[in-house]
This record gives sequence, structure tokens and C-alpha cells, in this order.
Amino acid sequence: MKRHVVIGALMLSLIPASVFAQARTPVPRGSDGRPDLTGVWQGGSTVRGSWDDANSGFGVGGSGKNPDAPPVVGSNERPAGREAAPYQEWAAKKVLESFNKRAIDDPTARCLPPGVPRSVMLGLFPQKIVQTPKEIVVLYEYMSTFRMIPLNAKHPDDLLPSYMGDSVGHWEGDTLVVDVIGFNDRTWLAGTGTFHSEALHVTERYRRVDRDRIDYEVTMDDPKVFTKPWKLTSTLMLREGTRVQEYVCAENNLDPANFEKLLKEGVQITR
Amino acid sequence: MTRWISYACGLIAMTWITADRAAAHHSFGAEYDVNKPVTITGVLTEIDWRSPHTFFFVDVTGQDGKVANWKFEGYPPTVLARLGWKKDQTMKPGDRITVTGWRARDGSNWAHSREITLADGKKLMFGPPAGTGDGGNAPAVDVR
Repeated sequence: MKRHVVIGALMLSLIPASVFAQARTPVPRGSDGRPDLTGVWQGGSTVRGSWDDANSGFGVGGSGKNPDAPPVVGSNERPAGREAAPYQEWAAKKVLESFNKRAIDDPTARCLPPGVPRSVMLGLFPQKIVQTPKEIVVLYEYMSTFRMIPLNAKHPDDLLPSYMGDSVGHWEGDTLVVDVIGFNDRTWLAGTGTFHSEALHVTERYRRVDRDRIDYEVTMDDPKVFTKPWKLTSTLMLREGTRVQEYVCAENNLDPANFEKLLKEGVQITR
Repeated sequence: MTRWISYACGLIAMTWITADRAAAHHSFGAEYDVNKPVTITGVLTEIDWRSPHTFFFVDVTGQDGKVANWKFEGYPPTVLARLGWKKDQTMKPGDRITVTGWRARDGSNWAHSREITLADGKKLMFGPPAGTGDGGNAPAVDVR
């Protein structure tokens, strides 16, 4: 009997820790009983485990250690199955122009903040959610941006247009619903050229379905450019042991100058 | 171009270019040509760990003995750290390395890096797949 226990323990010790990470575990909850979203997360991934589990080998954009896992989807791509953005005809032409010019007019190529929901859905950089009963704060490594989401609060009535908008949240059961307005018109939503106006109204729904995963649903409404609201879904995966670090894009950004030079020299960069 | 013994355009099966890409800072396709894959072996002269992109430089000796210094672009420092790179340890000036990637459209000694084979034979990714930041294979709107 004793020998069996020892052999069993030895066999268990040979199983990599990542295997245990596959098991679904309960949603952590705060003192108020709400799901606690606190943690470091990776957007656009569905792979459980550490950052290394999900992104090593092939690198971010791949499937991590498991070659059969789905790759991390980029926020500027249009993955198979994603609903087309319901732009008005004139606006759809503008989106297509950016796509055909290989996104050289991407605001982030000039180090500007990516806005919402792009910041949430990108997978190359982690984001950290810090939750308290009265306010939720999200820190995004990409472009070193942040969002403060007071709960059960109203938007200020003196909002200045901003890249990340103004967020307020409330709980609907176990789902955090975030209402975002007050945007400027200088960000892309979710894909190359997906511009919008200052009338943009974003509604996000965060539901932590288990310890490792938040299901994310976002509805973007902008009557000035869309024919109807645009809804997308994505996932955020818990990356324990990952730190959100400093990213100073303006430090050595050579892209705008390079693009300008190529255009001036007539180098063919269109599709 | 054919004088450089150490690189071979189009010889590598770069199967990863068909994969989905993660969001990146800027457009790959504006500056680099996916139809010009390269593999270059040479001696590392400098690494500039900076955002939004890290650059490194490699001396490549041609058949005629002349040395050309190539510039390579890759991920920012935090992304590299999460992929297993250690600044000033994993790769140092003087190390002989092999880099795969894609050449710049302007035809200069400049390329986008993808994978580096270190002096000890270990391989690590240094840059994202081709096509990153270009918008993928389909635009966000349906083409009419």
C-alpha cells in the first residue's frame, strides 16, 4: 500500500504543472461576492496556462507549446468568422483604403493610444485588472495606457474627447458591464482602418467564466459611420506570473519617417 | 546580391507566414517584402534594446571578403523578455548567429527578423511573423 502511494506521488510529480492548469477551477470572488477580475490577462487568446505555455516556441501570434491550440488573434486582423464591420458605404471605402495601403495610417504607428476595444483585444502585450468594490482600474502595457472604471457612477458632464474614452461600470449578476463614451475620432476599433467619430458609444461585457478565462463581448455604436451597432466577442486569459511593464513607444519610433521615405521614393507598398 | 555567400533568398520554407498574427506596432508590408525571405549568418555587432522595436546589427562577410553590416528589426524589450531573451546575456556582440527574416522593400542591407539561431544552436523568436499589422488577409469590411 505504502509503496503504491510513493509510486503514485512519483508519477504525479512527473506531470507538468501546465496540465493542471487545463482544469477548470471556480471563479475567485471578492468580499462583496462579485467575481474578482483582478489579475494579469492576455487578450485574444483561448489558451490556458502561463504566458510561456501560450506563447513560447512559435512566439506571440502562434499557438504556444501546444501546436494544436488556436493562435492568438491580432486586434488589427479580421479572423475567420468575425462579423464584417457594418460601415456606411462611404465609410467602408475609407476602411478599405487603409487596408490596401497596408495600414500605414494606423494611429499606433505614431505611438498614439489604441483606444477601446483595441486595447482589450490585442494579445502581444498583457493588461492588468485591479478590482475594488467601488472602482476597477485596468493598466495596459501597450502604449502605457490606463482606464479607471468607477462602479454605479455617472459619466461627468464636462468630458473632453479622449483616446481611451470615459468608462463607468455596473454589475448585472456576474457580468461586469462597462459603458464608454467621450472618445475622440483618432483611434481604430478592431481592425485596419476601423475608424469612428466622436459619437462612438462602446458597451463592454466582462464575464469571468472560470479562474482562467473572461468572456468579452463588445458592442460599438456610432450612427455617424455605422448602419447598425457592431458586436464582437473575444476572450481574456489569465497569465499568472506575468508582469505588466513599461512600454515607451516614442523612444525610437522610426516608422512614420520610413513610410514617408518609401512613399516619396515610389516604392510599391500597396496590395 | 548573389555575392553574399551567407544568405539565400527564397530557400526556406517559411510555413509560418500563413498563421494568424498578433497585433503589432506597425505595418510589416509597408517596409518589408514577404516574397524576399532571407537567412543570414554573421557576427553580431550591436543590439539596441528599445521600444517600439529592438534593432540589432550583424557583420556579414561576402565571397569577396568584403564585410557588410546588416540591420534587423524585432520585438520590443518586454515582448522579447517574455519570449525568454535576457538582455546582455542571451546574445552578445561578437557572437556568431544565423537570422531568418524578410528583406526591406528598399533593397538595402535591412531586414525584419523572425528567428535567431544562437551560437550554441538554440533557436529563439526575435520578431513577429510576416504580414503583422497589415490587416491580415481580409479587410474589416466586406469588399463590394
